[in-house]
Amino acid sequence: MTRTLALAVLLGATALSPAAAAQLNIFGWADEMPDEVLADFEAETGITVTFDTFDSNESMIARLEAGASGYDLVNPSQYAVQILAGRGLIQELDHSRIETIGNIAEAFRNVSYDPGNVHSIPYVWGTTGLAYNRSCVTEPVSSWTALWDERYRGRIYMLDNMLAAYIAGLQVNGFNANSSDPEEIAKATETLIAQKPLLAGYNATNFADLVSSGEACLVQSWSGSVLQAIETNPDVVYVLPEEGGTMWIDGYSLLTGAQNVDEAYAFLSYILRPEVAAKTTELTKVATVVLEARDLLPESIARNSAIYPSDEVLANADFILDVGEAMKFYQDGWTRVKSAQ
Amino acid sequence: MRRERREGLVTALMLAPSVVVLGVFVLMPLCVVFAYSFALRDAYGGVVPGFTLDNYRALFEGLYVQVFLNSFRLAALTTLLCLLVGYPVAYFIAFRAGRWGPALLVLMLVPFWINFLIRISAWVVLLGRNGLINAALVGTGLAGQPVGMLGTQGATLAGMVYAFLPLAVFPIYAALQPLDRRLIEAGADLGANPAQAFGRITLPLSLPGVLAAALFVFVPSMGVFAIPVLLGGGKSIILGNLIVQLFLEFRVIPVGAAVSVVMLVLAAIGIALYMRALARIEAWR
Amino acid sequence: MTAPVEPAGPVAAPARPAAGGAAARAEPWVLRRLVWGLPGWITLLAYLFLLAPIVVLVVFSFNAARSTVVFTEFTLDWYARVFSNRNLGRALRVSLIVAAASAAIATAVGALAAVAISRRRFRGRSLIATALAAPLVLPEIVLGVGLLVFMSFAGFRLGYGTMIMGHVLVSLPFAVLIVRAAAAALDARIEDAAADLGANEWQTFRLVTLPQLAPSILTAFLLSATLSFDNLVMSTFTTGVGTTTLPLRIYSMLKLGITPEINALGTLMVVANIGIVLLVMGRYLPALLAQPRR
Repeated sequence: MTRTLALAVLLGATALSPAAAAQLNIFGWADEMPDEVLADFEAETGITVTFDTFDSNESMIARLEAGASGYDLVNPSQYAVQILAGRGLIQELDHSRIETIGNIAEAFRNVSYDPGNVHSIPYVWGTTGLAYNRSCVTEPVSSWTALWDERYRGRIYMLDNMLAAYIAGLQVNGFNANSSDPEEIAKATETLIAQKPLLAGYNATNFADLVSSGEACLVQSWSGSVLQAIETNPDVVYVLPEEGGTMWIDGYSLLTGAQNVDEAYAFLSYILRPEVAAKTTELTKVATVVLEARDLLPESIARNSAIYPSDEVLANADFILDVGEAMKFYQDGWTRVKSAQ
Repeated sequence: MRRERREGLVTALMLAPSVVVLGVFVLMPLCVVFAYSFALRDAYGGVVPGFTLDNYRALFEGLYVQVFLNSFRLAALTTLLCLLVGYPVAYFIAFRAGRWGPALLVLMLVPFWINFLIRISAWVVLLGRNGLINAALVGTGLAGQPVGMLGTQGATLAGMVYAFLPLAVFPIYAALQPLDRRLIEAGADLGANPAQAFGRITLPLSLPGVLAAALFVFVPSMGVFAIPVLLGGGKSIILGNLIVQLFLEFRVIPVGAAVSVVMLVLAAIGIALYMRALARIEAWR
Repeated sequence: MTAPVEPAGPVAAPARPAAGGAAARAEPWVLRRLVWGLPGWITLLAYLFLLAPIVVLVVFSFNAARSTVVFTEFTLDWYARVFSNRNLGRALRVSLIVAAASAAIATAVGALAAVAISRRRFRGRSLIATALAAPLVLPEIVLGVGLLVFMSFAGFRLGYGTMIMGHVLVSLPFAVLIVRAAAAALDARIEDAAADLGANEWQTFRLVTLPQLAPSILTAFLLSATLSFDNLVMSTFTTGVGTTTLPLRIYSMLKLGITPEINALGTLMVVANIGIVLLVMGRYLPALLAQPRR
């Protein structure tokens, strides 16, 4: 017993001691960066990568806010970039040190949340819409209103995420998903409360399974997560509703106080190569911002409208940014929705 | 005199490690939380030092009252069920299982060594429309078509008992195990039937364990958040969900801290009741 | 892992003849039997309830389809994926180190305090007892946030140290209450007798108190290690670079749905667990079974 313990402590000590070789510590979304890409990068550069993951922008920010995290790169979504930059947690990027920065598609170079990519390099993107199972929903669905359809009572799930749920709540009323108008938000809150008796629940983890197995007829959904279900079950359909849905972008930012800056720039230069970006998309089924990557992908992915929606569909989609002070109206409303009986 | 001082020194040495742990890693963080509950918040969700009672005022605006009620009801039901099932199990392991007692105890821990989330997701499979329970219901003709069990209060309760049952069994077992069997035998020799022996000897002696079990189950079950989400469909949120929401989703840390302080006060009342009961039992012996 | 030290067997044995003997003749045999067997039946049902989901989990880990609800075809692919996942191996190592270290600390610190509280008289006794149970009543997430802010404030780098400390806080109240419940049920006269016979305090503690408390100390250690191994919330806040534990890793895997890969991992955990239990029990069981009745 004591010997086992001593051994364990010893193992721990070796894990703690700083390695002599170059290293890089990244804090990123789970399942948006394939292990294969990380292994390739390690093999090519000799840099040891520690890739720790988070499950929501909010929990990531909470961790970083406390300081002393020890990470070099972080992987925030668009509104999280604004919050991190606003709190001074991420630093401005030196574009001259990212050799492949020119590979980023034109559309992603001047994003509204971070004009000129000052604080972040966009990397992958997707949409928020809804998915349904044709064995249960017999007519084609093209609108959020299906999530309020009495016929599917007890077989509907909404995303268990405030901003995501309000996308449907606002757009079904004809408002912009990025609204900061208290009255519009209040109206959306009423709409979401009225929906509650119809719901089987709120779910942000296994909703793809639920709709694929037929447990649910309709689920509000992020594009990335539901694509596996589509691959194995042809009855599952993902749509970006006619009201617009939303588009999201996850990128990389350099943390203030990063210790391994050279390695961080080497990593950014590496992942923006077309063949690396293509590998990322192929393995994770999430689109990258690298234009040429699409040409390297198999037809089944490059022509998949769930991964690469058409430009007019995207133009119709809203884009969630930090709403600042209006966040309080969302939060109070969401608490009312979740505690309503 | 010297002996007394030595006694005191030994006591102090025995208590020193726990006092250090409590002081540095509980008391100080608690002070931080307490201070935060009166603090302000900036536009990006950061905590701004200051003094306001708004965070507490927000708690009594009716928005959160339902959450407190939900939590209390769920915790009480979970505790009751865990004690009703857990006592006989602990009793069996302590008195009847013989040599297999240790094996049964370890077996009870087996599910715990599989990640909590994996276990709960196994329940999602069991309770699903295509799950085993529905297959059995439809197969035996008890139900015409699959019943939607996910996203109900019953599913939440089943998951809660599943998660907390071992926490009820262990303290009861720990109290039953060292009981002097000769006392019970003596009772039987004096003509007490097994029911009397149980009611007059075993049960009273194991009460500290039962109280500990109730405490172990009741308090943490108010703070659970994954079970109401995965099995109950997240439709009836409890204090655990509220705190996660306030700290991690909304990052309204001051209000989250205020909810925590209120919860702490409620729980302190519970623990005070437990301590009083325990002291009474110890004195009564 | 250590084996249960004190066998329940020899001490439990006398209860059987006492319960089945004289009283059985006085009452209807069937009813007697039924009431006597009730704890056994409830135990059986409770274990079914606890273990049934694991059976489901094992079965679905061999399911070819990604879904965990509909079984399509047998496969071992998910196991291959678990073994080729470099992150899971790292996470397992982190979890084992943290569980062993935090359980050892929590049990040692907790048992000392528990014995002091229930066997010794001193001022502020109930205050300390209450304080030691306090982490139980504070939502773990609050303790986690507070700890995180405090640690960063004090300049601690997040990592093994903060994680182990966080887990000690989670298990300490359990360890104290378990050992305390056992110590409260001890017969003080035995210790007094030992003292009267000339044993000093340390001898009394080591030779009389400790052996009697051994089952509860072992229980406390097992429960502490288990709580640590399964901990998600505290780990979320105290983890640093490269200290992602298994639950944290699994939680991030769940983001894309409950896949058979996760079930396969669960199955491997069950197998490893049973292996450890057999190893430990295998060493002690023959001895236990061969032991003559005292």
